[in-house]
Amino acid sequence: MFFLGVVNLLLVILLAPLYEGVIRKVKALVHSRIGPPVYQPYLDILKLLGKEDLRVSGNILISLAPIVCFASIMMVSLLISIGSIQPPLGNGGDVIVLIYFISLGAFSIMIGAAASISTYAFIGLTRKMMLYMILEVIVVISIFTGVIRSGSFMIADIIMWHLKNGPTLSMILAGIPFFLVIQAQLAKLPFDIAEAEQEIMDGPFVEASGPRLALFKWSFYAKQIIYSSLFLEIFIPWPKTYIIPVDIIINLLKVLIVMLLVGIIDVVNPRLRIDQAIKYYAGVAIVALIALAFAIIGA
Amino acid sequence: MNGKELIQKLKEKFSHFILKAEEKVPSKIYITVPKEKIKEISDYIFNQLKARFQISAGTDRRNTHGDFLVTHIFSLDKDKLFLLLHTSIAPEDASIDSITPAVPAANWAEREFRDMIGVTPVGHPDPRRLVLADDWPEGIYPLRKDFPYDCKIPLSDSPAPGVVMKEPKEGATTVPIGPFFPVLEEPSRWRVFVEGETIVGCDYRGFYNHRGIEKLGDSVLTYNQIPFVAERICGICGYVHSCCYCQTVEEAAGIEIPVRAKYIRSIILELERIHSHILWFGIAGHIIGFDTVLMQTWRIREPVMWLAERITGHRKTYGMNLIGGVRRDIPKEIHQDILNVLNKVEKEWLSVIDAIGGDTPLMMRLKEVGILTYEDAVRYSVTGPTARGSGVEIDARIDHPFAAYEYIPVKIVLYKEGDILARTLVRLEETLESIRIIRECLKEMPQGTIMADFKKDEIEAGKEGVSVVEAPRGEVIHYLITGEENKPARWRVRAPTYANLQSVPIMIQNVTIADMPITLGSIDPCFSCTERLEVVDVKKGEIKVYTPEELIAISSKKYGGK
Repeated sequence: MFFLGVVNLLLVILLAPLYEGVIRKVKALVHSRIGPPVYQPYLDILKLLGKEDLRVSGNILISLAPIVCFASIMMVSLLISIGSIQPPLGNGGDVIVLIYFISLGAFSIMIGAAASISTYAFIGLTRKMMLYMILEVIVVISIFTGVIRSGSFMIADIIMWHLKNGPTLSMILAGIPFFLVIQAQLAKLPFDIAEAEQEIMDGPFVEASGPRLALFKWSFYAKQIIYSSLFLEIFIPWPKTYIIPVDIIINLLKVLIVMLLVGIIDVVNPRLRIDQAIKYYAGVAIVALIALAFAIIGA
Repeated sequence: MNGKELIQKLKEKFSHFILKAEEKVPSKIYITVPKEKIKEISDYIFNQLKARFQISAGTDRRNTHGDFLVTHIFSLDKDKLFLLLHTSIAPEDASIDSITPAVPAANWAEREFRDMIGVTPVGHPDPRRLVLADDWPEGIYPLRKDFPYDCKIPLSDSPAPGVVMKEPKEGATTVPIGPFFPVLEEPSRWRVFVEGETIVGCDYRGFYNHRGIEKLGDSVLTYNQIPFVAERICGICGYVHSCCYCQTVEEAAGIEIPVRAKYIRSIILELERIHSHILWFGIAGHIIGFDTVLMQTWRIREPVMWLAERITGHRKTYGMNLIGGVRRDIPKEIHQDILNVLNKVEKEWLSVIDAIGGDTPLMMRLKEVGILTYEDAVRYSVTGPTARGSGVEIDARIDHPFAAYEYIPVKIVLYKEGDILARTLVRLEETLESIRIIRECLKEMPQGTIMADFKKDEIEAGKEGVSVVEAPRGEVIHYLITGEENKPARWRVRAPTYANLQSVPIMIQNVTIADMPITLGSIDPCFSCTERLEVVDVKKGEIKVYTPEELIAISSKKYGGK
């Protein structure tokens, strides 16, 4: 278990910038650009870590927010399964703990923004809260569809059940909303509304600089792997060889495919307004509810 | 209605108050009126005759006529006429009735001549300082002839009071946009008042980019030096300014330029429109986060820039114009190259137009956002694609033909919706129209010289000229009074953004803060064009005002300096 924990942590934290680099390269291809080398995100983080930490308000929350954000991401990486079916902290945490830790990451960003004195951070904060309220509902409903079908709150049990019973209508219907939510959870276009560089100058992160910005960025990269893995393990766990190193490689390839899909949607869309995004996700939430209804009647 | 009928009509209406009326060149009517009647007559011209307000110019004529001259310039687009209202102001009572209550479009123009030559518009609804820097001393007017062009105003010891910005109404909060903001390429300061995310009002402070170009033209530069400075007024469409300036001087001096030169001017103007519109669409995409549009359109644009370099020697600052014609011919050998580039751009541009039509998210952002109604467009006398997107049928190339447009008719692109999408579609389709015009020009262009034959040093003093050019962003207007020593006595420039920017507060009413950048972007603002004058800079905090010395002290402390 300890060994698996180290593997999970290393994969999520250390590989995350590489994935980001690959996606940047693909974006550049769509733009007819050459683009930066794939290892550029590592350099970005290293550079930011070494830079001066400029701040306009000395609030302690501003210093804590990125640390809590990064810590919660590290915690979540121990609660999801990447190679083995059983997550490293499998017995210690069920899906509710998982959802709590995922939320903690989002909350820390919001608290950091609320502690700032910038108007832009505040607009970003309100937008993030509005989005978060609907996104989190969809995530919970989708995961609970799996909980109801498998009759267990443990991630491993949901995956085992899914592997045994094959695809079902309710799980497919619940998987679609979860996939659509990834786009907004990862702040990708057309839903990077809370950050919106051109409108509110990165919103909650407008006052983040140096090491704090590095931690936020790193958490973001890691979040991409976490959300993709979570989606794949719960809704598309196949193929499984039950040989851990092989499963890890298969999983990482699957994650790459999901992230490329998300990246391509990102690159061919303009940013929507917050009211338009909420309308869209209200529709997605209804699909998730239908999935839940099917799960209850056992379809 | 022709010029004579217009003069007749005004004389019937205002009888002896029309002190002097003449049609100096066909379609340009110069009328002198007493200053007591200026408001009434402007009201009649703007609201009854439905003329479009273009600009006001203030001139210091104390050393030749012993007075200040204020000129309000109107255009009757349907009748293809210009109407210039001259008013003589005695220096001992340097004031004039403000026409802004009757002509809303004159707001900035009047504040500008107050700042520049010190003639106060009495009864102006918003008499705050517009152009001069916040710490510019009261009572010093830079465009007066006794103000040397190289004068350095001593910095005042006391902190500057600054221009008082409007306060939000109860319950609204202020979101500052600018002076520096990611998607604004140039400084412009907006205080946007919001309730939630909805904009309920705003205030604007600009003119941070003044470079004293008009003053240089009025004082040190000779006629043939100015085209090269004029070209540097704008960072994208500079050629329109040198072209418009040359036309104005040619009109004042009565110079007829060769037909081939006219065609060459038209070709370059249209090339400039093509690359400017493509550039704008890329920036609009970037503003709403659609960077693929930015990257791909600028890739499409690049061959046009290379082509411009091939023809003129430079990508953007062409240096083609002189009084009386152009400096370089477009030889037969490169006609085919031009056509090749145009074909490629046309093909790619058609596929861009095709792609955006089917793009739902893009439509969601552009449709029914930032609406400028027909009535407001007329009231604020906006020009160019901003006007044509609101259904106002004006295009200087059709209404006041210049260069070769009298030989090559232009098809107007008109949309009635008045939203950002309409302005976008106008620009997309105009690009295709420009490609067609260049092809026609190349086909029809006659042989011959490219420079008129005239005595360069003998442009008579005291002549006037006014001329327009349809720039990519709208109509550019230059007004000029010739002077002694081969130099103009007054050169007034108005760029299209000057008119269009004043309509932005109307457009952003009730849109959300998310739509503010793209709405501002939709007029294709060009601040450096709009702002041409002074160079004093002051950094201003909202609560504490730092002096420059304090700021320098603070910044050197941060970076470990002394």
